[in-house]
Amino acid sequence: MKTGIQTRLLFTTTLVLGTCLGVGGYILDRSFQASVLAGAQEQLRLVTYSLMGAVDVQDDSVMLREEPPEPRLSQPESGLYAQVWTGREAGSWRSTSALTTDVPFPRNVRAEAPGEFRFTQVNGTRPGTYYLSYAVMWGAEDGAVLTFTVATAATEFEAAMRGFRRNLSLGAVVVAVLFIAAQFAALRWGLSPLRQMAEEVRELERGERQRLSVGYPTELARLAQNLDAFVEHEARSRTRYSNALENLAHSLKTPLAVIRNALGDQQDGQRELLTEQLQRMESTVHHQLSRASARGPLVVGGVVPLQTLVTRLLRALQTAYSDRGLSVDCDVSDELKVRGDERDLMEILGNVLENAFKYTSSWVGVSAQLRDHGVQMVVDDDGSGIPEALRNEVRNRGTRADEVQQGQGIGLSVAAELVGLYQGTLDIGDSPRGGARLTVWLRS
Amino acid sequence: MRVLIVEDEATLADQLRDALKGAGFVTDVACDGEEGLYYGQEYEYDAAVVDLGLPKLDGMSLIRQLREGGRAMPVLILTARGNWQDKVTGLEAGADDYLTKPFQMEELLARLNALIRRAAGYASPLLEHGDLRLDTAKKEVRVEGKLVELTAYEYKVLEYLMLNPNRVVSKTELTDHLYEQDFDRDSNVIEVFVGRLRKKVTPLNPIRTVRGQGYRFVTEESA
Repeated sequence: MKTGIQTRLLFTTTLVLGTCLGVGGYILDRSFQASVLAGAQEQLRLVTYSLMGAVDVQDDSVMLREEPPEPRLSQPESGLYAQVWTGREAGSWRSTSALTTDVPFPRNVRAEAPGEFRFTQVNGTRPGTYYLSYAVMWGAEDGAVLTFTVATAATEFEAAMRGFRRNLSLGAVVVAVLFIAAQFAALRWGLSPLRQMAEEVRELERGERQRLSVGYPTELARLAQNLDAFVEHEARSRTRYSNALENLAHSLKTPLAVIRNALGDQQDGQRELLTEQLQRMESTVHHQLSRASARGPLVVGGVVPLQTLVTRLLRALQTAYSDRGLSVDCDVSDELKVRGDERDLMEILGNVLENAFKYTSSWVGVSAQLRDHGVQMVVDDDGSGIPEALRNEVRNRGTRADEVQQGQGIGLSVAAELVGLYQGTLDIGDSPRGGARLTVWLRS
Repeated sequence: MRVLIVEDEATLADQLRDALKGAGFVTDVACDGEEGLYYGQEYEYDAAVVDLGLPKLDGMSLIRQLREGGRAMPVLILTARGNWQDKVTGLEAGADDYLTKPFQMEELLARLNALIRRAAGYASPLLEHGDLRLDTAKKEVRVEGKLVELTAYEYKVLEYLMLNPNRVVSKTELTDHLYEQDFDRDSNVIEVFVGRLRKKVTPLNPIRTVRGQGYRFVTEESA
């Protein structure tokens, strides 16, 4: 079975949706991160500027003329740290906040060139740290270079980024769910005519409907029309075919009847030979025509109520065999149904029932029940049963018609042949009342 | 016994007519459905042999119309197609038995005899009345077990009367059912046959004369 249309469409749209959300999310995340970092940089730059305003250099050491401009620099472990580096450890200044912790100021931080900000992130620790360094030529005379480095713990910024990322993924999930649900609904709605068509075709198959309904959307209307035309054409050509065969039967059998009767009056040595050959011709014509005119399991239509069929056949047979004074028991529920062409089924059951009527001595019993997703019909009689040789002939459905002797064999082999066409079974056994038991199983 | 044959195939119709004549039946042959219907409605028959595939009016409709017109004689259908649909529809239309072409003439005669007997209410080919036994299969009559020599016509008269027991059968009816159409109706040949027949089946005397009306085969003494 190939993947369904609905699955295919859902799969593609989900794939596209996933890619869009992924790429979009990545871009959003990146830009947010960039803006957070820019904010951090800006903050650090402000601190650097105010620190530059407060710093003085005396005897090669850096000192503050006043309290640090940012109170957090004086607060231990506040998360904001500063260092003013002169090039040597001695004489460099470090903020109070940095004294109690080991802020990993890069030892040799030097701006590449004075007057340029340089921003670095160290993410190795948790939380990470952001550094902003700025080198200045301090004083004109000795050309000392001071490197201002302000560092901040990234806790807040990382939290902001995490929060944003959480919101972003939550939003993405909501959008995805809504989108898929909408897609699913749209598919159901869009594909509903196809489903309807499938259901109607099933009804056609079961014979509950003669043709598809009108009013399919434009894309399917042509298909529905063609399907209807096909079904009609099939039914017509079946009828034409079987009519042609029946006409053939008629035009072959009547001359055969004439020849046979004409032979009956002849009195010469050839008579026996001719009669025998004639019989072979008759058997062949009968057998092959019954086989060829069988319509076989139908593509569309054809569910036959078993009870009606059996009742009609029994009534007909009782008329034809009324001088035998047979008693007939029939136990077939009106709920049992068999799939197939009515004429074929009549042919099968007619031959089987006639066999019982012909060879019974006083009684025929018919019963049917559901079995293995089909209908099993059992026909019993109290005659002398069916000889083993004939059972074998009937069982080997391939038996050539002219090898079957006149009489009992023909009807049963025709029935067996048709049953085979319907993938059913025909078994010959012994009835508990002494005669034969014929068991026919057909799909329901 | 007068039998109507409706068969469009001329050769087969001829063979049927010859075979039935040979078996002591009187026949009329119609070669299409409409002609068959005309004969069937116009004359009284003891049985009919009808082919289902007929021109002008098909066998099925022919039987249905005969039955609707109140004709009750047994009908044997001949079908070339031999399918059950045809057999069942034919029997439902009012036929009494079917035979698939090609058939053996002996079988057709046996079936036809059985149908006629059945219509008269006999189950076996042996018509019995007291010590009088008429075997329709062997065409022989025995009184007290002894074979009685009868001519073909005497046998026909006795068989017809026995198949229509306790009913007045007029001389015209006997003539119609036992002889071809060109028979001289005014002759007293029937009276002669019945007279001889009575002598041959003595000491029994089941054939009563109903003055001015005809004959009656009596099986119940009270009648």
